[in-house]
Formats: sequence, structure tokens, C-alpha cells
Amino acid sequence: AFGQAQVAFGGLQHDASLPVEVTADQLQVNQEDGSAVFQGNVVIGQGSMRLSAGRVRVEYQTGANTTGEISRLHATNGVVLTNGAEAAEATSAIYTIGSGQIVMQGGVILTQGDNALGANQMTVNLGTGQAELSGRVHTILQTGGN
Amino acid sequence: MNNVYTYSRFIAWVKVILPLAALALLSTLFLFSRGSGTGGAIPFSEREIEERAQTPRVTRPNFTGVTGNGTALSVQAETATPDPEDAGRLAAEGLQASIDTPGGTRFEIVSDSGQMNNADQMFSLSGDVRIESSEGMQMSTSEIETALDGSILTAPGAVSVTGRFGSFDADSMLLELAEPDSNTYVLVFKGGVKLVYTPVN
Repeated sequence: AFGQAQVAFGGLQHDASLPVEVTADQLQVNQEDGSAVFQGNVVIGQGSMRLSAGRVRVEYQTGANTTGEISRLHATNGVVLTNGAEAAEATSAIYTIGSGQIVMQGGVILTQGDNALGANQMTVNLGTGQAELSGRVHTILQTGGN
Repeated sequence: MNNVYTYSRFIAWVKVILPLAALALLSTLFLFSRGSGTGGAIPFSEREIEERAQTPRVTRPNFTGVTGNGTALSVQAETATPDPEDAGRLAAEGLQASIDTPGGTRFEIVSDSGQMNNADQMFSLSGDVRIESSEGMQMSTSEIETALDGSILTAPGAVSVTGRFGSFDADSMLLELAEPDSNTYVLVFKGGVKLVYTPVN
């Protein structure tokens, strides 16, 4: 295994300012601190990127002059990220809106065509179409079949 | 010589004239009162009085209450007409309600009409119901039911919401306590939640 690997991920140009669409079975908004949690086969879509997960928590920008815009979507409970032909799965992912950067953590498996890579963490930059795998990166060979 | 008399005669006249003048001046205070009041016209037209006689109705009623966990609920209406068959029921027109949660969030609710049901302590609002929360969320739906003990507010029908994190629709909505005994409220949108958010950067 080697420390880090640079991999192309969904090479097509991804526009991070496209509207983000989140669909879910249920949305819960806490009225005191305004935190919002989507639950039940949640799918975050933007352009051709789809991030599906069991639960997504919305984090807002804090700080002086923010108008409470969404800053990050924190997905957990079985996360699958697909962008065009490639797919990556992990236990959790954080999508920073606007910057087009997704950090996936915990047992990441990236499948491209018929070969697959595994790692502890993967940082995808949708804008450049680059993905960086780090932490016990290893190749998973598809055995069986001729 | 005679000016001695004239002076004392002058004084004698003055002693009579001045009090009379004072009396006259004082009486103007009471005699010339301001124009006599015309009496306010009764604010109801003839037709309304007949109508009022047939259906007993309350004009601009308001209902306020504080629930067990400190949520203040106040409801105002244009008119409220008791249901002839069942005294516990009340139909109201042109409703405005506000809910103040202990946590400091306020919900302003406006609707065309409403039904108060004392028996099961429920209050339902219907017809173009709009809710605005102090957290900056606007919701519109067709019907809302509120438990008068403030524990629950449900919108059984489709809800469309605009909030700071974009706009979305859902099949139904529920405002309830996060945990039974806590006083933080949670808005739960169920069924086909679809949020569209355009990033600003």
C-alpha cells in the first residue's frame, strides 16, 4: 500500500455554483439553534454529482457577516458518491458547498470501471475532477470472472 | 370738597360692580359648556343588527393561554360564531395566531378561517394558512391543527416552505417538542422533502 494517490474522479467539468438539490424522506429543523437534519435515503444532487446517505446534517456559516448560508453538508450512515461513471463509498462525507470539495472518511472504496482503490480518506475536488486518496491506500483486484 | 364724595362714591360703585363682574365671569365657566355631545353613532348598521339577532356572534374575539411548558399561545379572529348544535365548537373567520416558545422562537400564523373544538382541546386553521417563524422560515399550507396544550402543531396537507437554507416542499409538517419534557421545539417535515438551494459565493 502507499501513502497517497492522485486519481481522476469524474473528469468532466463540475460547476460548484449550480443549485444543490437535497431530497429525503424527512427533514427535521431544530427551532432553537436552527440546525437541520435530513433523514431517510437522502440524496444530494448537484450537476451530475450525486451523494446519497442515510442522514445529512446541514451546517451553517457562523461568524460575523454571514447571513446563515449553508456552509457544509455532513453526510453519515452509508455514503455513496457518484459522479458520472465513477462511484465511491465511505462511512461519512463532508461536502463544503460552493468550493466543490468533498472529504470522505472511513473505509473509502473508489470504483472506476472494473478496478477499485481503497483508503481511509478521500478528498475529491469536483472543480478539477481530481481525487486524492490518503491513509493505507490499496488496490482491490476484482478476482473471478475471465 | 366734593372730590371726597366722588372718590368714596367711586369706591362704593366699584365694591358692587367688581364682584358682579367676577360672578358673571365665573358663571360663563358653567353656563356656556362645550357644544352638547352628539352621542356616538352605534357602530352597527340595521342589517347587521338583524343578522346579529339571528346568529349570535362575537366580534374580534381573542384567546390567550400559556401551556404547561411555558409556550404562550394567542389567537385573534375577526368574528367567532358558536356552533348551534355543539356548544364546545366555535367557527372563526379571519384568524391570526402567535405561538411563543420558551426557547424564544415566535410563530406568527394567519389563516382565512378556523375551528375551535373545546371537547378535544384542538384548534384547526384552514384556508390559505401562512406561518412565519422568527428563525426566518415562511410556510404555507392549507390546514393546520394545534393542540391547545401547545404540545403539537400539525399540517396534514402539503407544505411549501422558504427558509434561509432554500425553499422546499413536503407532504406534511409537524411542530413538536424535541423530547417530551424539554422545551425546545423541532419542526419535522415528512414525506418527499425536496430542497433546492443555490450556493452564494
